[in-house]
Amino acid sequence: MESTAKSYRLATEYVMSRIGVELVEIEDWNCCGATSAHTLSELMGIALPARSLATAELKEPELDIVTGCASCYARLRLAMHKIRTDKAAKYLIENVIDMPYEARREVYNFLDVLSREDVTEAIKGKIKRKLEGLKVACYYGCLNVRPALITGAPDRENPQSMDAIIALTGAETVDWAFKTECCGAAHQNDAASVTRDLSWRILKNAQLSGAEVIVTACPMCNLNLEMRQDGYRKNTGRSSIPVFSVSELLAVAMGASARHIALDAHHVPAAKALAAALRRSEGGVAI
Amino acid sequence: MTNEKLDSLLAKAGVRQYDCYQCGKCTGGCPMARAMDLKPRGVMRCAQIGSLERILKSNTIWLCTGCHTCVERCPHDVDLPALMEEARYLASDMGYERRDSKVLNEVFIANLKMFGRNHEMLLAGLYNMIAFKPLQDMSSVPHMLKHGLIEIKPHETQKSESIKKMIERAEKLSSVRS
Repeated sequence: MESTAKSYRLATEYVMSRIGVELVEIEDWNCCGATSAHTLSELMGIALPARSLATAELKEPELDIVTGCASCYARLRLAMHKIRTDKAAKYLIENVIDMPYEARREVYNFLDVLSREDVTEAIKGKIKRKLEGLKVACYYGCLNVRPALITGAPDRENPQSMDAIIALTGAETVDWAFKTECCGAAHQNDAASVTRDLSWRILKNAQLSGAEVIVTACPMCNLNLEMRQDGYRKNTGRSSIPVFSVSELLAVAMGASARHIALDAHHVPAAKALAAALRRSEGGVAI
Repeated sequence: MTNEKLDSLLAKAGVRQYDCYQCGKCTGGCPMARAMDLKPRGVMRCAQIGSLERILKSNTIWLCTGCHTCVERCPHDVDLPALMEEARYLASDMGYERRDSKVLNEVFIANLKMFGRNHEMLLAGLYNMIAFKPLQDMSSVPHMLKHGLIEIKPHETQKSESIKKMIERAEKLSSVRS
């Protein structure tokens, strides 16, 4: 969130401050290791996220954990689950991280937080302008919903939580087939030629379903879907499609300007689609 | 190759090979199947007929993204991603690691040992150099530098030394496992 997901971070901070939610960064957090650490060793793949969670438990014992990344979510949640259900693993992990960790608090993804009734109500109250008629494909990705045992997500094939959040902005979400289809971000470096095709299928299905933009809840999905659209245009002859994080659409509807959330940092020109939707809305306003 | 190794791998993964009745839903839903030299259903078939070597030498275990679509749709809840993970550990121990995966994972962990966090530019840069793919994704670099999406200076944890030690402890314990 500090680097390639700049717009996502700025928009998330904007939305949360508007609704009066304070986010506290885990002190001296470390990388969760996805996807390499657990490919090399099961223990390393759990110890890395467990260290961040144990630090949070020590420094902020009253706070739950939230992450905006699907991969981090899967790893953090697995570490929490392992500590709660496997005593032998807990002993081993605590030894490796050299800290106690009881997994007292919950790990949520950002969509869980936005879907809470009180948060949704607060967002509703802060919407200043509508993205009327903007056709949005909500892309949840794999690990925000799967594996069911770890995430507890109620619907892994056709989830609805992001659709409900986006509807608050006045945008219209489309029904499409690839909501939870894997974009291949895990292998974007080491099997690039294969994974390009994965993200392109997702972009194409969104466009064929009538979407003008795609919205994600993960910086890895967002980057992977957005950064390599040059190849998409060349290989499919189709036009590009902007990809936003869920926070960005909320922030714009709450009144954030393009500069507030660094819309110009997108790899695919992004402001235009939102500006058109704002113009369509009653009392047309500029972004 | 003895079946003891296969039995132990399946036990660690929590997979009973005869739970699979070869319906093929795993392969049908797998986003990477087209690039795999042994499809997910084939992996289960190999487990049933005792052909561990074919599983360990396949590119399949390295191309699996861990998206969990297969187990989500499996009528018998066969945990293929867990099997893939255990197969990767065993394949690495036996020297069958896929080269590009090995390069990426080593660069990734070296990065964490240095900074405790990932330095995206260093990760991609080092990977491209060692894997002989100098131009991969490089066309996006000017845009990312201009907009501050990547930085030359890494974001380091305050206790990167303790994270390095922690990773080394995990590596040591993992190698004596099994």
